[in-house]
Amino acid sequence: MTEGKTSARLKLLAWLCAFMFAALGTRLWFVQVLASADYQRQVQHNSVRTITLPAPRGRIMDMNGVLLAGNRRSLVVTVDRQHTAPNLLRELSALSKVTGVPLGDLRTRLQSNRYLPYTPVPVAFDVSKRVAFYLGENEDAFPGVDVADLQVRTYPDGTLAAHAVGSVGAINAEEIKDPRFANYDPNAIIGKTGVERTYETYLHGHLGQVRYQVNSAGHVLSSLTRKPAVAGDDVVLTIDSKVQRLAQSSLVLGQKAAHGAGFKAPAGAVVVMEPKTGQIRALASSPTFDPNVFVEGLTKKRYKQLFDDPKHAAPLFDRAVQAAYPPGSTFKPFVSLAALKEGYAGLTGSYSCPASYAFPGDTSGATFDNWNPVNSGFISLATALKISCDTVFYQFGADFYRAYRDTNQPNQVQNDLRAFGFGRTTGIDIPAENGGLIPTPHWKSTHFEPTTADPFAATWLPADNILMAIGQGSVAVTPLQLAVGYSAIANGGKVMRPHLVDRIDRPGGRVVKLLRPRVDQRLPFTRDQIDYVRTALMGVVQPGGTADTAFAGFPLSQIPVAAKTGTAQVPPFQDYSWFAAMAPAYDPKYVVVALVEQAGHGSETAAPVVRRILEGLFGLPLTNPATGSVAD
Amino acid sequence: MDLSVGRARAWSERAPIRHLDPVLLLVTVALTAIGLFMVFSSTHQSLLALGGDPWGFVKKQGAAVAIGVLVLAVIAALDYRLAKVYAGFIYVGLVVLLLLVRTPLGSAARGAQRGFYLGGFQFTPSEWTKVGLAIMLAAYLAELKVSELSLQQVLRATVIAAIPMFLVFIQPDIGTTIVLAAILGGVLVVAGARARYIGLLTMVAIALLGGAFKLGLIKDYQIARLTSFVDSKSGPAEARYNRDQSEIAIGSGGLTGTGYLKGPQTNLDFVPEQHTDFIFTVVGEEFGFMGSVTLLALYALLLWRAIRIAMLSKDKFGTYLASGIAAMFAIQMFVNIGMTVGIMPITGIPLPFVSYGGSSLIASFMAVGLLLSIHMRRLTVGGVPI
Repeated sequence: MTEGKTSARLKLLAWLCAFMFAALGTRLWFVQVLASADYQRQVQHNSVRTITLPAPRGRIMDMNGVLLAGNRRSLVVTVDRQHTAPNLLRELSALSKVTGVPLGDLRTRLQSNRYLPYTPVPVAFDVSKRVAFYLGENEDAFPGVDVADLQVRTYPDGTLAAHAVGSVGAINAEEIKDPRFANYDPNAIIGKTGVERTYETYLHGHLGQVRYQVNSAGHVLSSLTRKPAVAGDDVVLTIDSKVQRLAQSSLVLGQKAAHGAGFKAPAGAVVVMEPKTGQIRALASSPTFDPNVFVEGLTKKRYKQLFDDPKHAAPLFDRAVQAAYPPGSTFKPFVSLAALKEGYAGLTGSYSCPASYAFPGDTSGATFDNWNPVNSGFISLATALKISCDTVFYQFGADFYRAYRDTNQPNQVQNDLRAFGFGRTTGIDIPAENGGLIPTPHWKSTHFEPTTADPFAATWLPADNILMAIGQGSVAVTPLQLAVGYSAIANGGKVMRPHLVDRIDRPGGRVVKLLRPRVDQRLPFTRDQIDYVRTALMGVVQPGGTADTAFAGFPLSQIPVAAKTGTAQVPPFQDYSWFAAMAPAYDPKYVVVALVEQAGHGSETAAPVVRRILEGLFGLPLTNPATGSVAD
Repeated sequence: MDLSVGRARAWSERAPIRHLDPVLLLVTVALTAIGLFMVFSSTHQSLLALGGDPWGFVKKQGAAVAIGVLVLAVIAALDYRLAKVYAGFIYVGLVVLLLLVRTPLGSAARGAQRGFYLGGFQFTPSEWTKVGLAIMLAAYLAELKVSELSLQQVLRATVIAAIPMFLVFIQPDIGTTIVLAAILGGVLVVAGARARYIGLLTMVAIALLGGAFKLGLIKDYQIARLTSFVDSKSGPAEARYNRDQSEIAIGSGGLTGTGYLKGPQTNLDFVPEQHTDFIFTVVGEEFGFMGSVTLLALYALLLWRAIRIAMLSKDKFGTYLASGIAAMFAIQMFVNIGMTVGIMPITGIPLPFVSYGGSSLIASFMAVGLLLSIHMRRLTVGGVPI
């Protein structure tokens, strides 16, 4: 026990504590019992208004830092559809006069289903300060109308790489339920297509928040807390805007030349890919669109162009990635490798190239014609590729059919073709990719029903294999898949994952994500077989090859090119023109694939497009496409 | 034979574990449980609004409780006199930690550099300095073996306290500085400093504080918070707002409160820092005057037990240490609740056991562990401590 003095001092400590309790107790009695009613009244009057601070969306740049998507400030007139005047038409026509936006456009924008019902709809962008002041001063005449100073998305080059970059728009009712957007504001602007969509979570940033205390009359008494907005991350693409511009202009020039030759040529696509890394240097789809229109609000005319009018050939559709076509003869290098692997072809063998071919034992009299109605005698596999002899490949197709019919390897050629990535999506980093189709007996039996007119509609027939061997029938590939397949031949057997984004930077410089080259699978062919086919394809652009006229005058000694033409038959339309090239042929740095819909043979339209792109890539003077010779 | 059996029984009766203070333990458990309920009430709405786990804060606090219980058990099991032996190490270690906080190793939050960020938890050494200072002062003063302290001895004790006080003050953390000062005051009073010496210290402290204002060492927001309690109509809006909202919350609770999870002020997140420094507003709003007084009664029990243990201690070290701890709990409780009802300046002092915050909670459990250890080992055999 403590001695007396200490005990007395401890009592002093105890008294001090007692004093504290007394002070707190009396104060609590006053606050909670005597004055409680007054405080309860204050609770009723208390309210807090929260204002969100927008986070600047991350920028999108090309590989050299050229801005493809950024932000700018804009005074935007919005209309809250739940608080408009009873006579909406009168209010809108007054608004039309003030803002200068045609009444019809105001109505179209208000009806847009891109916004949630309770979200104010932006109807006029970039209005002047005078308009903003006028609307502010005449609040009563414009119920539901507001002017906001917003950061809006801007695409400085408009149509440049529009399909790859993508577009933004207001979050919709379905998206808001998506767990990815769980923390999003109901008014959020989000990526809708392209890179804007895939990398939405990086680009979006985090909203800031300011909380104000307001009294019951709604007047701000004080600001409480402030959470600053965090800007989104910047996305750096593998796209080179110079190459992209070249690809887009070459494609359009190719279409124009085809128009001159009597083709419809309404649309096309170009892919420029680095075969060693999978980086996409250019991804073009024609016709294209200006993503700024989704920011500024659609006019009636623009809406029709983008969505309805078949004359405009659906410009939002990314033909390089979302459209699958029969590849025609551009498929032959892949079929060659399959035939080499399965032993139907050899590096030293020779094969007959007649003008037409009939499957032995077929009594129906059906024949398969060569595109060139002459007999070219016995030729090597390399020559068959160079002159694109269909009948040589029909015979390989027949061999594959026999393997299906007579052995326990029913999907021999299909498996070999899938090794290039055909028949499945490549995994490129933009949404809505088309996986194409490699038909199999199983696929046919599950997708068709035999009918009395065609009792074999669901049966795998020799023609299925024979047509597949020349890239026809039900085979379908996207231009991107073809580029990936050619890249695998170019790089010696690696199927690379194509990608559009190189890295993601946090504002301030830290790299958040770096996309490294990724090998998805390796080809099951020997190095000799792959090199043989690549070397054979060098003949295509040389005298006697199917693309010799298209490449006349091209300095092949400086820049050797290995390539393949393709002419896809898509009745009742005009032929689709394909061309795929690797350059320099011995150690390809680029793979370029072009497709032009309804534009004739591969050598006619697509080959000159690719030639112009190759000239640009290697610093040669550009040759504008004029229609080349008519060869497959 | 019989003799040895009898002796064995006598020893087991004297075994420290048989002399736990059950009241102190129960009060600790009750306050901690109330804390968890209050933290849930003040955070679940805003966590839900942000799309998070409404139990997020409660889970973190629960983890701190688990660590706290472990720390308490270990400290209580050890003889508190070990703390006297290692007082110098503990003190120097904490001073070094306080210095390290100022290096880039420390993390800044809300304009103050107070802790280390490690594996998702922030460690705040200034919280543990409270207990460490009580140990160091008790060890120093118990060594003197005098019944009345000379001015020189009072000054030496003051210097011991002044070093961590200065380091905490410049973080800046005025709240903890006040708590450290109170610990010094409490230990000095019990150790026998004359009233005039304590008066002198108070005057020096006021002069120093005035000087700090003049030199701009105290940040504007701190001045604003400190002075806003004097006149609720002056001071910047934000400082007045804190005070007004917490008073409104507590006042609107009335006699019996709005009921658990039903306080509009709490649910609408009107009171800033409600789960930490202003947690008492939840008690005040949702449980009214009855709830507030019940909580005060629990603190009264806690302080009564602490002072009683100071009296029962078999040595001066135990007495001074328990006094320092009592002073620590008392000042925290008083300044914290006082600021929420507008009779004390607003300083960042957590309410022991109740406020959200792991370091503070663990420091409080450490203090209770020391009190238990003193209580369990209060007995002597024939005047010789066992």
